[in-house]
Amino acid sequence: MWLVYKKELLEILRDKKTLIFSILLPTIIFPVLFFGIGKFTQSKTEEAETKELKVAFVNAAAFEGLSTLFTAEKHFKKVEISSSDYKEEILEDNVDFIIEVPEGTTLPSDSRKQEVINLYYKGSSKLDNISSKRVKDIIEAYNNTERLALGARFNLSTDNIKAFNKPIAVENQNFASERERMGEFAGPLIAYILIALAVSGAMYPALELGVGEKERGTLETLLLTPMTKGKIVMAKFGVIFTASFFTVIVTLLSYFIWTYIFTMGGKMGGLDFLSNISGLDLLLVAVLLVPLTSIFASIMLSASIYAKNMKEAQAYMSPIFMLGFMPVIVAFVPGMELNVKTAMIPITNVALAMKDLVKGTVDYGMIMVLLASTVVIAGALLYFTTQFFKKEKVLFRS
Amino acid sequence: MIEIKGLAKSFAYDKKEAKKKKNKVVTDPREGDGVFHAVRDVTFSCDKGKVLGLLGPNGAGKTTTLRMLSTALEPTEGEILINGHDVTKEPRYAQKLIGFLSGKTGLYHRLTVRENVEYFGRMHGLSKQVMDERIDKIFTMLDMHTFAGKRADDLSTGMMQRASIARAVIHDPKVLVFDEPTTGLDVISAKTVLDFIESYKETEMSVIFSTHHLHEVERLCDDVCLIDLGETKFFGSTQEFAAQTSSGNLYDAFLSNVNKKEEVA
Repeated sequence: MWLVYKKELLEILRDKKTLIFSILLPTIIFPVLFFGIGKFTQSKTEEAETKELKVAFVNAAAFEGLSTLFTAEKHFKKVEISSSDYKEEILEDNVDFIIEVPEGTTLPSDSRKQEVINLYYKGSSKLDNISSKRVKDIIEAYNNTERLALGARFNLSTDNIKAFNKPIAVENQNFASERERMGEFAGPLIAYILIALAVSGAMYPALELGVGEKERGTLETLLLTPMTKGKIVMAKFGVIFTASFFTVIVTLLSYFIWTYIFTMGGKMGGLDFLSNISGLDLLLVAVLLVPLTSIFASIMLSASIYAKNMKEAQAYMSPIFMLGFMPVIVAFVPGMELNVKTAMIPITNVALAMKDLVKGTVDYGMIMVLLASTVVIAGALLYFTTQFFKKEKVLFRS
Repeated sequence: MIEIKGLAKSFAYDKKEAKKKKNKVVTDPREGDGVFHAVRDVTFSCDKGKVLGLLGPNGAGKTTTLRMLSTALEPTEGEILINGHDVTKEPRYAQKLIGFLSGKTGLYHRLTVRENVEYFGRMHGLSKQVMDERIDKIFTMLDMHTFAGKRADDLSTGMMQRASIARAVIHDPKVLVFDEPTTGLDVISAKTVLDFIESYKETEMSVIFSTHHLHEVERLCDDVCLIDLGETKFFGSTQEFAAQTSSGNLYDAFLSNVNKKEEVA
């Protein structure tokens, strides 16, 4: 057994491509990826911790010193709101947090009492949580100050004060919809699954139609027909694209059916938000996959055509898979959002847009920007593939 | 008629290969500065109704020559004429005239025999009526009707080779190019191919037949072109070729013409 083991190992170690693509590349890519993500997350967290938050107070005079505590803190700005429609004020970005003390409420005068104040905001992401924690920390500080003052009134030690109720309890009023909050977690997962399906759906036909033709000996006979190489490669691309896209569409259709079963028939809680995703948003998810699938189809077909044999082609597919997913992973780092800059990053842009479509927070104008940039990249890659297919060095590589 | 004059084909080394070659003493005349001259000077012709045997050791340049003839590769130098038409200038004309068969069957395994043949017929622009007539004729000639509906991956080697022949001749080519078609075949399957080539000797077709098996040359070929190190070492009739040595057999003639030291595996 050892003889066979040693011989097989020796062969693998002498196969430079396998070594590079299966071992060396991941050992470089992943540390770089994780380091990059870590740095980015850290900078975004720091940004969220120091971001100026606009806070408005309603009836705050009842709690003396509360608003002053906020204005005394760095990176908080007290603002006034003109309307009583808190949701509109927050959604229009006039204010980040509204602290509302209900009418007739006064600061509790003994330790058994507790008053509830409302904290209005909109938050679904991890970074939003950092912001709301900053606000709650100040309210907590106010609670502690008031409890200390209450304790001092009765000459109680600090330890005894711990048994006191907090004078103020916070009632969260989050304007982020159920879809938005659930979509924050489910969006990346759905995008990841759809992109994974698009990639894996393209892989097998790409292998079959590229290097598979070389191995069977059909490529040479195909090239000797009057059909131009350009038409042949376009047809091959079309098949890979169709297979990949079909895989994704079937998944989307099954999503529709299961969503219906879970939310209508099964009354399964937690998944209700899925039924809120509109037909247009789902259609846009499918549309986004068109250029994305084209990108993977072109890259995989080129690699498959270039490979001398199936083994070599498979060695190329693993890094393509990995490199394809790096931008997807990057898209789900907290703080990454779809804007003009990220709309230019292929794959990342589609993943971000999908997340926003699931959450229901997408900027449709930005979708057009990313579609334009992705279509240009997909077109350029397809052109490259057609030119690549015309090269003798590639077709008859030995 | 096929005429090949002063044909040459060079391939640029990739960076890695060029680096490897840089400090090496060049012993192979095909190795140039950054390029490999796979074919340096090949000249031969093949008249209608004749079978030309293309001989040479492995790596001599036979397949590259045939790929240029069949338009898959573009020559670096030289001329290929089919019925006076320049193949490099009129590749579509050549593609319509050439039927190509190699040791690899060139069949799609998940298609039936008929689907395979029809596919290539359509690629050559045959109408349904012409195609049906051609298929009926070829399938009868090669006794293929019994397995026409079978998928290619269910065929025996012999059946597969017959299907490959049908695929290669569906568009009624005037030039048949066989690149080592019997390599790896058992005796019965090889016989099918050889019988088929022989049957075409009586027609107006030009047949180029590359092989390592000299008994096949003896049986089928009117003329012989021997290529070694990318150039024609001999071109003439099979009888003239055999007569080059005192023994008068093709094996000795072959060995006396090739540079054994430089034979490339």
